[in-house]
Amino acid sequence: MTDTRPLRAAVVGAGRMGMILGHLLSVYPGTEVVGFVDRDTGLRDHLASQGLSAPLYPNVEALFAAATPEAVFICTPTHTHLTVVRECLGRRVHLFIEKPLATTLTDAEAILHLATEARVVHAAGYVYAHLPIVQAAHDLLARGVLGETLHFSAHAYVSEVFGPKRGWFFQRELSGGGVVANMASHLLFILGWFFGPIRRVVATTRSLGTAMDDSAQALLTFSSGVTGLLDTSWSMPGAQMLDYGLTIRGRRGTLVLGRDRILLHLLAPADGHDAGWSEIHASDLPADTAFDVSPHIGGEAFYRQLDSFVQACQSGTLPFCSLVQACNTQRMIDAIYASATSGAPVEVS
Amino acid sequence: MSDLVLELRPPESQHYPSWRERLDTVARYSQPDEIHALCEKAYALGARVILTVFDDTIREALVAFQRWRDVQVWAVVPNMFAFIRDLTDLGLVGAARARFMRLTPPAMVRTGLRTMSALGGIRRRDLAVGTMLVCEMELAALRGLRVTRLFLHPQVTEIALAAGAPAVFMALAAASERLGIDPGLMTHNPLRAAAVLGPELRRFAPIIAPCNSKGYKMFPNREECERLFRSDPARFIAAEVTAGGTLAPEAALAHTRALGLSGAVLDFRMVDTTFHGGITRPAEAGNLDGGVV
Repeated sequence: MTDTRPLRAAVVGAGRMGMILGHLLSVYPGTEVVGFVDRDTGLRDHLASQGLSAPLYPNVEALFAAATPEAVFICTPTHTHLTVVRECLGRRVHLFIEKPLATTLTDAEAILHLATEARVVHAAGYVYAHLPIVQAAHDLLARGVLGETLHFSAHAYVSEVFGPKRGWFFQRELSGGGVVANMASHLLFILGWFFGPIRRVVATTRSLGTAMDDSAQALLTFSSGVTGLLDTSWSMPGAQMLDYGLTIRGRRGTLVLGRDRILLHLLAPADGHDAGWSEIHASDLPADTAFDVSPHIGGEAFYRQLDSFVQACQSGTLPFCSLVQACNTQRMIDAIYASATSGAPVEVS
Repeated sequence: MSDLVLELRPPESQHYPSWRERLDTVARYSQPDEIHALCEKAYALGARVILTVFDDTIREALVAFQRWRDVQVWAVVPNMFAFIRDLTDLGLVGAARARFMRLTPPAMVRTGLRTMSALGGIRRRDLAVGTMLVCEMELAALRGLRVTRLFLHPQVTEIALAAGAPAVFMALAAASERLGIDPGLMTHNPLRAAAVLGPELRRFAPIIAPCNSKGYKMFPNREECERLFRSDPARFIAAEVTAGGTLAPEAALAHTRALGLSGAVLDFRMVDTTFHGGITRPAEAGNLDGGVV
């Protein structure tokens, strides 16, 4: 039976993502924010000035001493995720963890193991997978509209790094890597969701402004047999927000996924779609979002992501964006870096 | 319909159907002359208002355009994408300092005095205080432009609406009053705005919100949004009228006109399509109300 009481939620890490999630949890009808956690307790007034009135605690222990959250949203810097998960899973709480899951595959698998052992619901914050148009592309593939899926090409570009950068986000040991771990991982997650477990990776990376990967090219082979090329850079001019695209070729047609639309070309009619070119625009898809917290970045995907997690918590089932899928993404990230370092293909077991 | 509004934003901060179209458009609109030409096309279609997030190129183009044409400029501040980038690179103090250094000496003095009077809020990292200081510095940097309305950037607006925090909007209204201009509201969540602001919503006009026959970007849904629009149609201006380019401009504008809204926002694609596609010009139609398209 589905539980319909508001889900008591806490947010660990009151940075930019923590605040966005805090706001969403405030406006979402099925949740109640019972606390924030941040080492910087000077943020209390800042949070209050934004209408985020739930108490701010200096650490997870203090949170659990004072409140009984049923779910915790972990939005701290990536290198702390495993530690925070360990602290949280002293109690039985559902886990939502911002992407990427961890700085290493070992840590990511440890997080998944802990969450699985604790038998809690878990999800990762790869928000773009929740865009209705991305979900429509997934549904087309799942229904076999393209026939056997053969190969793809994908890009993920943003204008972020054109010189030295500072902050934890640009330190590999704290953030887990550069553009691959922190930007392209959105697309890697979608690729993993579409095509399944990764099997083999050949990749190169380049540093331009930071000591990390500022651009990368990766040839990916999935266990399903699908192969494809990912080109990514956060040193591309012209894109203040992540620009991504994905072209998928199957035996019966081609699907081009963009920000707001799918272009579909079919060799023969399939599943209600005509042969030849057709377009599915985001505006043609059912609207099921009550609030748009970020019109230009992510849009309604943030709300849908939260909705998916809350429903999973209430029904006790894992959502499609669970840590299992996030670990597949982490395997791709790890293999891309390993291949770029060794200069050789990496087989993923 | 009385107002056609051209919306400008730095081209890097918009979404495009393809990478190629992005590069073409960004390169094109990195030239002030191209923006000026776009404004001229919009003017020919009847737009007498330009709603914009500023960067240096847009500011330069609009300074020149306002010398040439009698148009209102409605400012959307702060430029959140540039501010977030500066926050990452420079930190909060560095981002504020960068904006301060762009000001003229008199504007520096005014901003300095404002900052002194807001020290408590700055120390508390109060959202309304911090946001308005950044907004006022960006406005002060718009030398030579006549700005008649002030809007908060949607990234700030939606966050404040989610939190149910009217303080930011009241601060915007107060700052607008000080500057002798009017406050407006631009949101994807107009029902939430009505709930959060209550009777104070009347202080903000116009309210720019998505309105199209497909319900695209109309949250929580088309029916509830249209009910709100019908309650006071003259207060609202329609955005996203073509539903991401999937509706013909003529039909899109006819829909908003049928609802009685006071205007519609045109983006660069719509201006190009209608300008080259033979939209009925207001002069030919005799009057703007009902004449456009």
